[in-house]
Amino acid sequence: MTRPRRDPRAERAAIQVAAGPRPRFDRSARAAGGRPRRDPRPERAGQRVPGASRPRYDLSQVVPAQALRGEVAVAAEARQPAAAKILVVEDPAFLVAVVPDAAGGRLSPHDRQVLGAARVLAGREGGILVVSVGPCEACGPAGADRHLALGEVGTDPDERAARVAAALAVASPRHVLFPESLDGGDLARRVAVRMGVPLFDNAEVVAAGGLVRPARGRRVEQRAAPGLLASVAPDAVADYAGPPREARPLAHDLPPAAEPASTILSVARIPADPATVPLSLAEFVASAGNGIRDLDTFRQLVAALHATPGASRVLCDAGLMPRHTQVGASGTVLAATCYFALGISGAPQHLQGVAGCEHVVAVNTDLHAAMIERAGLAIVQDAQAVMPALLRLLAREKQEAGEGS
Amino acid sequence: MRIAVLLSAGRHPVSGAAVLPRLEAQAIRIAAGLGTPVGLHAGPDAAAVADALGQGLSRIAHVALPEGADPVPVLAASLRAMAPDLVLAGRRGQGGDESGIVPYALAAALGLPLIADVVAVAPGEAAGTLRLDQSLGRGALRRVVVRGPVVATVHPDAPAPLAYAFGQARRGVIEPVAAIVPAGPAAAPAAVEERPYRRRPKLVKGAPTGGSAAERLKAATGEAGAAASGRLLVDPDPDEAAREILAYLRGIGVLAPPSPRPNP
Ligand SMILES: Cc1cc2nc3c(=O)[nH]c(=O)nc-3n(C[C@H](O)[C@H](O)[C@H](O)COP(=O)(O)OP(=O)(O)OC[C@H]3O[C@@H](n4cnc5c(N)ncnc54)[C@H](O)[C@@H]3O)c2cc1C
Ligand SMILES: Nc1ncnc2c1ncn2[C@@H]1O[C@H](COP(=O)(O)O)[C@@H](O)[C@H]1O
Repeated sequence: MTRPRRDPRAERAAIQVAAGPRPRFDRSARAAGGRPRRDPRPERAGQRVPGASRPRYDLSQVVPAQALRGEVAVAAEARQPAAAKILVVEDPAFLVAVVPDAAGGRLSPHDRQVLGAARVLAGREGGILVVSVGPCEACGPAGADRHLALGEVGTDPDERAARVAAALAVASPRHVLFPESLDGGDLARRVAVRMGVPLFDNAEVVAAGGLVRPARGRRVEQRAAPGLLASVAPDAVADYAGPPREARPLAHDLPPAAEPASTILSVARIPADPATVPLSLAEFVASAGNGIRDLDTFRQLVAALHATPGASRVLCDAGLMPRHTQVGASGTVLAATCYFALGISGAPQHLQGVAGCEHVVAVNTDLHAAMIERAGLAIVQDAQAVMPALLRLLAREKQEAGEGS
Repeated sequence: MRIAVLLSAGRHPVSGAAVLPRLEAQAIRIAAGLGTPVGLHAGPDAAAVADALGQGLSRIAHVALPEGADPVPVLAASLRAMAPDLVLAGRRGQGGDESGIVPYALAAALGLPLIADVVAVAPGEAAGTLRLDQSLGRGALRRVVVRGPVVATVHPDAPAPLAYAFGQARRGVIEPVAAIVPAGPAAAPAAVEERPYRRRPKLVKGAPTGGSAAERLKAATGEAGAAASGRLLVDPDPDEAAREILAYLRGIGVLAPPSPRPNP
């Protein structure tokens, strides 16, 4: 058998790319004779599994190079992450109720963890019912199958507990979970006393096989099968991570509770005064370090930002700032949401005090300071110049707002 | 004003020695600022709460109760006889089950309102009212004005306890009080299994659940999240820097937006 004689010149002429002053040849397009030329790089890219944070490859399939160049249609769409489909549990075998704090109608991070715990107890067959007093947004993505929104109640926590207890009596869930937060723990105990049911509080482990809580100063732990009422400790259980659920609103026709008149005359919220709140409780701390010479401007800035003042050890040792403002290993360990560091290098002893802060803003002249590396917004600039600029900007905004009225 | 402070037999969290729980010592301080408080303890042995005399109480009423019996009916009966205007308790016990349910059960038994987690109590403006400051965490407070007798639990952010005074502790008296109602049968042991405590890893906020060890480490040290995607501005104009900082602070919600409604 004879092979047809190849004509390399003609073959090259056939694959010559038209454009360009220099002759260029598209060798990958040579489909006429023999195997198509493989291009390992796009093939590898085509095997990459979408979504994962570090590269993962599905070696079981080889996507031909032509397909990668879009010449041949393959079922590539199937490999794209499907638009998250809403999971529907039509007829749950049983319900696990969650009573979130939902302050301001939004789930707190702790509430989300409780929903995660509820999913552990509900398993595949059960459904999760969120019982919220007042509205509650975005329960579905957090893992709720049903949502029962009770009407707003007055300021009396007992009234709230009565509402929740009545709703739970109607819905008759198998388990009820509360967050063990200040308000959630309070509500859980009121509901437990009202229903006459024991409460398994502060559960640190939630599994279908049993709940675990610490006792006697964390010397022992108590394990029990999940009962009706339980409250879940913060940061103990992971959030619900599955596909969003429907959070189907349930109608309720609870009779308005006939409670005796409340003895609570008035309730007022007093926000924390940032100037006097202890450093360990403060929400937003602005801190000065050795790079700050003009402490008067710093104090004005702290007041204008409504922050709590802090300092590095150098300033406290020098007597420029009071000792109780020292942040760090030998000062106060912060639990703030945001830390604003002006002229602080970020020594390890100082960074230990900031480890728990979610957001850090740093202003420093040294690009290589450890604080700059730790910061979410790092500004390499003279803090002496940035502080007055901030004050000017805040003053102008205040003035504009005043004119706007 | 008649004030009762509920005292439980606590255990020190580290040594396990009998000790007055700190929260109850803080409760005594709050009560001492309002009048002459009386301590109330239900339990087998009054020596367990004798420390409270040195912390600012001059009298403790002790109701003898067998070990393990439910203290709520006995306490409720004694409180009904005392008819105090304010009952203070700790938000949780210390060294026992630490469930904090006793004050709630008591309030329900007495038919009184309960205000949880207070850090300060003062007489209200109108006669017969009390002003209680509830802790909301992070130094924020909720000020509640209540009429009539009330049960309140104390939060750890309340002022630190008074110093222990030995002379006062010697002068103070512990009065045995006969239980008005017979103690109920020992609470049926709930189906709990006890083991030595095992510390479990706390959840790391924002940690990828399925990620690599390096990613989890980054999340734990705070180098991931906001810090990893950090913005770095080298030598910006100070005004530009100021705008960036304010925008960032407003983005994370620690700084109020420029007020559209200025104060009148
Ligand atoms: C046992 C022990 C415990 C300690 N505990 C603590 C503690 O609890 N808290 C604590 O803070 N420290 C503590 N320290 C001290 C710590 O090691 C550092 O010495 C200290 O934190 C440094 O403070 P600083 O960043 O303010 O000063 P420096 O290290 O002097 O840093 C000043 C920074 O400011 C920058 N800068 C200078 N001029 C300007 C400008 N015009 N604008 C902007 N930036 C400027 C510089 O680039 C530099 O990065 C401890 C030390 C020891 C040994
Ligand atoms: N036997 C008791 N006698 C008096 N007060 C008690 C007793 N047990 C609990 N208390 C009070 O109730 C609070 C909460 O206790 P507990 O419910 O055990 O966590 C304690 O801080 C005490 O103030």
